[in-house]
This record gives sequence, structure tokens and C-alpha cells, in this order.
Amino acid sequence: MDIDKFNRNTHIIGRIVSAITLVLLVGAPFVIGKYLGAMPDLGAVAKGFLAVGLVWTVSSVVEFLVYTPMLGAGGGYLAFITGNLINMKIPCAMNAREIAGTKAGTTENEIISTLSIATSSLVTIAVLALGVLLLVPLQPILQSPTLAPAFDNVVPALFGAMAYQYYRKNIRLALAPLLLMSALFILVPALTSQTSLMIIPSGALAIGLAFMGWKKSRAKEQA
Amino acid sequence: MLSELNSPFMYAVCGGIILFVAIVCVIFLVRSYKAGKALGMDTKVLKRTITSSATFSVLPAVGILLGVIALSGSLGTPWPWLRLSVIGALHYETQVAEAAAEQVGMSRLSIDGMTPRAFATIALLMSICIMWGMILSIIFNRKYTKKLSGGKTSAKKGFGDLAMTAMFIGLVSAYIGSYIGSFVSGNGLFTFSGNITPIIVAVVAALVMAGLTYLAEEKHMVWLESFSIAASMLIGMLAAIII
Repeated sequence: MDIDKFNRNTHIIGRIVSAITLVLLVGAPFVIGKYLGAMPDLGAVAKGFLAVGLVWTVSSVVEFLVYTPMLGAGGGYLAFITGNLINMKIPCAMNAREIAGTKAGTTENEIISTLSIATSSLVTIAVLALGVLLLVPLQPILQSPTLAPAFDNVVPALFGAMAYQYYRKNIRLALAPLLLMSALFILVPALTSQTSLMIIPSGALAIGLAFMGWKKSRAKEQA
Repeated sequence: MLSELNSPFMYAVCGGIILFVAIVCVIFLVRSYKAGKALGMDTKVLKRTITSSATFSVLPAVGILLGVIALSGSLGTPWPWLRLSVIGALHYETQVAEAAAEQVGMSRLSIDGMTPRAFATIALLMSICIMWGMILSIIFNRKYTKKLSGGKTSAKKGFGDLAMTAMFIGLVSAYIGSYIGSFVSGNGLFTFSGNITPIIVAVVAALVMAGLTYLAEEKHMVWLESFSIAASMLIGMLAAIII
């Protein structure tokens, strides 16, 4: 198999479908506006963008830089088209990588990651489509007060399970970011609404510590 | 207004775009499966990747569905359905929709003051604010991933893998830390009276995961690996109902 050709095509297909999705997504409000009989107020969009959009633009750049290496080329295109990165695509790809035992930067990892994100996206689309189709009978069940605590805690359940998977092999690496983040959130509780931003210092600390440990062990090997 | 936002036309527009994205996913799925086989990867591993990713995604997807339901009261069902199926993120959509509603002069996001112009404006702002990840992918993905995989010594490559693991540990730690922080100081510094449920849920899920990992590794029940995260999450979430 020609890997270079496969990778080249991944980028060609990825770019084309991303561009099409972009046009569809930005075009849809105008099509809908035409149907409803009123076009979007571009002045208000511009003002709104300055109010909230700029923050999201900065965080998009950070997300792109941080998560693309985790997702790989094909996985990256797909994940940025289908969204829900932190609460779904990233953990899903990391779990698949763990099970398959592939290493970052290899073609095998690229394949596993793309398979994983494509599957995850398809399942999400299917669940949402079914859910929308069955909205009337499902809504009272899903929103019932009995089940509400369960669905409020999907993300803690996800990160609890993933924490075991990753901490057990790297407990020394995990301790510092976990303690630092706990201390920060205890002392500045307002930060909890900014958790997705706090990933950056936490990740940077873990990477820094991992790098020091890695350098040390390499120095030992060479000695 | 709500009936217009839930009209067949709206379903057709939004459903059409979702269908396009689903086809894109199938293309990527088939391509990478074939490439994996051609590379000589074990088809069992490829299939297990698919099964584990599918089971993994069901519960978070139901969580996302609840986001659709939450927004459907003010924006109708089709538009939130589209937004959360395509590049949406649960925490993002509500925030931007609220902010957009303010810009069009509504005091809060609700169907009561919704006009066609307000809806079109909110919809456009929701699309524009989140499109940057896709734009960056179109422009930089190729160069960036090439830089990551090529032109490095094998020693540096060795750290790349560790760096990913470390970054993910940082991500998980930030979230777990936030649960601890909100319990300890959520209702005032060191009052220990905040919401403790997320901590309990995370601990239960981790314990179940530990048990399942033991079975998979020590008792050689390898098939369990594909379901262990989903099962741990489910039991963790059940714990939230019981307490």
C-alpha cells in the first residue's frame, strides 16, 4: 500500500469536505432566513462576534494546536467537522489508542484514530437522529427528575473511568497536575466555569514533568 | 413561530447537512479500515476499535441529545439538532445562543420574543463563532501533521507519544480538580458543602474500570476492553441516581 498516497488523499478529501461543510453551515441561516422571510442582521452578528466570538476564536486556535496531534490528520478533519472534542472525540480516540496499543505519529495510530472518531461521530449522529425522531415519547423519560442526576454526570463518569486508565500507569506524572488543579479550583472556585481553559496549564505541567523524566531516563540509558 | 422553526422545511435543510456529514464519516471509516487491512494490521484490532468507539459514544451522545432538548424550546428542534450533530459542543451552543439573543435585543433566549430576523441572526452567529477549527484544519492540518510525524529523530518521536499521554493526563486532572474544587469551595471557601455527586460518580466509575481492567488483563477476558469505559460510565451515572 502507498502510504504517501493515502495521506495525500486524506488531506485532499479532508479539505474539500471541510470547505463544503463550512459553506453549508454558514449558508444555512441565510436559506432559513429566506424561508422565514427575514435575513440575518449582519450588524448584530458582528457585534455578537466581538462580544463572544473572539474568545472562541482564540480557544479554537489553542484547541487546534493541542488536539490535532492527538487526533491525527484524518481524525483532525473529522473531529473539527463533528465537534464535541473534549467530552467525546478526544477521550474516544485515546481509549481506542490504548486498546490498539499504537504510538502517536505512526500510520497505524492515524488509522486507529480516524476509525475511532468516524465511528464515534456516526454513533452520535444516529443517537441524535433517533432521539429527535422519538422526541415526544423520549423527552419525559430523559428529563425525568429521577434520571436527571445521571445525565448531569456523564462527563464526571467519563473522566473517572479514563482517570483510572491513565493514572494507574503514570501515577507519579498525574499527581502534580491533579494536586495543582485541585488547589487552584479550591482557592479560586470561580475558575470551575473555565475548566476547558485550565486544561492548558495542567497539560503543560504534565508535559513538562514527562519531558524531565524522559530526559533523565535517556541520560541513564546513555551512561 | 415555534411551528415554523419545527417545519418540514427546517428538518429538510438541517437533516440534509447532517446526512452529508454522516456520508463523510462513512467515507473516512471505510478508507481507514481498508488502509489498515492493506498495511497488514490485525482486522480483530480494527473491529475492536470500531466496537469500543461505538459503545464508548452512546452515553455521551445521549448527554448531547439532552442539549438538543434543552435548546429546542427556544430555537425549535431542527437547528439545535444540526448544531449539536455538526461541530457543536454542548457547553458552547447554549452560551453563544444566549449571547446572540442579547445582541438582537432579547433579554434572554426564549421563544417568546423570537422573530424570524432574530432567529436567522442567532443561527448565523452560532455558525460563525465555531467555524475556526474547520478553517484552521483546511489551512494548516497538512503542514502541522507532517511536521509532527516527519523530520524528527526516533528519540524525539519517543517523547511525542509520552507528550500525548501527559497532555491527556493534564486534561483529566483539570476536570477532576474542578470537581474537588466545587465540592470544597463551591459554596464559599473551605465550606465542604458544594456538589459532591461528580466526585462520587468519578470514583465509582474509576473503581468499576479498575475491576473490569483486572478481569480483562488477569482473567484474559479481552473482549471486555471494548465495553469497559461504557459500563464504568453507566454504573457511575447510576450511582448519581442512588445518592
